[in-house]
Amino acid sequence: MSHDKDTVTHLRLNPDDVGQQDAQSLLDAIQSDLRYEEVIHGCLNCGVCSGSCPSHRFFDYSPRIVVQTVLSGDAEAVKGMMDEYIWACAQCYTCAMRCPFHNSPGGLVMIMREVAVWRGMEAVHRLLKPYGRVLLKVLSIGNQLTPDMIQPDFFPDWGPKIPWSSTDLAIKRKAIPVYTLQVTTSAWRVSPETSYELYSIYEETGVFRLIEEIDPNLYEVVADMVEDLRDMVESAR
Amino acid sequence: MASNTIDSSIKTTGWEFVTKTVDKRALIKNQKPDPREELAELEAQGEVKVIHITEENQPITVETLLGRTKRIPTNKLWHHKSCGQCGNIPGYPTSIMWFMNKLGLEYLDETHQTSCTAWNYHGSGTSNLVALASVAVRNWHRAYETGYFPLIHCGTSFGNYKEMRNLLIEHKDLRDEVRRIMHKVGRELVIPEEIVHYSEWLHVLRDRVAAMRVYDVSNIVTTVHPACHVWKLVPEDVIYDPAVYGGERPAPTTAILLELGAQVADYSTWYDCCGFGFRHILTEREFSRSFSLERKIKVMVEEAHSDVAITQDTGCTTTLDKNQWIGKAHGYNYDLPVIADVQFAALAAGADPYKVVQIQWHTSGWQKLLDKMGIDWRASKDAYEAYLEELRAGKEPDQLYIPPVEQPV
Repeated sequence: MSHDKDTVTHLRLNPDDVGQQDAQSLLDAIQSDLRYEEVIHGCLNCGVCSGSCPSHRFFDYSPRIVVQTVLSGDAEAVKGMMDEYIWACAQCYTCAMRCPFHNSPGGLVMIMREVAVWRGMEAVHRLLKPYGRVLLKVLSIGNQLTPDMIQPDFFPDWGPKIPWSSTDLAIKRKAIPVYTLQVTTSAWRVSPETSYELYSIYEETGVFRLIEEIDPNLYEVVADMVEDLRDMVESAR
Repeated sequence: MASNTIDSSIKTTGWEFVTKTVDKRALIKNQKPDPREELAELEAQGEVKVIHITEENQPITVETLLGRTKRIPTNKLWHHKSCGQCGNIPGYPTSIMWFMNKLGLEYLDETHQTSCTAWNYHGSGTSNLVALASVAVRNWHRAYETGYFPLIHCGTSFGNYKEMRNLLIEHKDLRDEVRRIMHKVGRELVIPEEIVHYSEWLHVLRDRVAAMRVYDVSNIVTTVHPACHVWKLVPEDVIYDPAVYGGERPAPTTAILLELGAQVADYSTWYDCCGFGFRHILTEREFSRSFSLERKIKVMVEEAHSDVAITQDTGCTTTLDKNQWIGKAHGYNYDLPVIADVQFAALAAGADPYKVVQIQWHTSGWQKLLDKMGIDWRASKDAYEAYLEELRAGKEPDQLYIPPVEQPV
């Protein structure tokens, strides 16, 4: 999509702005995101998006209302949505598939979530708490789910077969006939050099700084792991 | 029951009408430029390097939603593994590699890969566009320098990488920032000619795969769950075939099942997501449980009398498989097996259920499916348990693939 010369867009938010939660500045951040013009092209208010939205069936949530509210320019109402409402979206993009205007309400929600997190809004701390294990993995090795995360304590509703998946794990993983998968604490063997490069990406894109701002305890753990791995890789060079 | 047209007995919601008159009309009448043409222009300007599909990749050409062609490489592939598959559904990647071995295809599976990080992004928002694009380009560049073409195993990685490719092509400022970061890590900005999902690879090789079938599956009623991030994210890049649902639904997965001779049953909520929700599977579990049971499993069984739910992605397989047991508390006693298309194909082609397909990691009752297919899973289980004992005693594990000596990146 081509951009108007005067349109000011941004590629990413600044982690130094965590805590800046003035409603208008939040709306400005959403609407100046580089992707905003990709996801919103106007709205007929037809409700096709909500009609096929899985979250609309189970929550007080409507993608049509999200789009309409952002387009209305009511910054306070948008801010109100960012604290809880938009987190019901299942990110399935059925709305985007069906919108006659080629809008992507799911894509808009993703921009709003990103702004909510990068500004450290109140609900974010509660919403992210169950994500601690995923964040630790994704920040340290770039995997998001690992064999040792499937534990009966975390997934009691997955039934009586889950304990099988978590016991004697090292041998069962060794029995998978693919070398890279014969590990338990990562989904596949990740070379230290690969993690090293990933850390540079997180550093250069402000992700580490963001985690330091919104979850200092998690950051402390991650920072130790990063330091150890960097020492190892650099001394091996 | 056969699914080359939409079964007239199942039109309870009219989805087929909706897809014709809303989705395709809107997409076809307002076509976006072909990103591959724009990518070629950028390459000609020296702005980016492109990972080309070469003759060595033995590509097969197919048609996508808008009638454009897409070349699917079948050989010399770099496995972009899925963390959810490798971590939780290991028979998914092993089945892919088992077929590649059987078909004599060349591939590279190595340790210099990160995930796409997009599950975490969709669930938590703790990343950003530049980080996602940089992670994508880092993985693409690693494939590029090895000379192998990236094959994306995960549906979310596939959807995310299609988005990143398009955004990188459209926005110079994003390219400049990603290029700066790539220079920091000793890499370059490269973009693949096509973003290719394993289900597309399986689709174009379906005749060769089906030729390997050793079990008659004509009595098996399958239901397909098309994965949202495979076909709803950048939908114009998805394979459609007039022979599959009249070209009104994505062809991969359904077509391989038909080629194997299985029955593919229509069901009215085929369009719905699985309930994974990215954050919901961890933080809103009641939603994932309820949605997967009420909108998918229940309909697959009661409407379509399905023997097995066939998936093409990571989170869907997990969500539909793991959330059935708890449903017993409310009288949902379906216990419908859930496996990926490539696992079903591997079973039909005689792969060992435990050692290759790793069916033992699946939660919902798959035993009755394998009995119906005529597969002696009990013998496979006995052999597996004996193999575990050998490994405990210090035996070196068997490998489908001997990885190359690791070279520092």
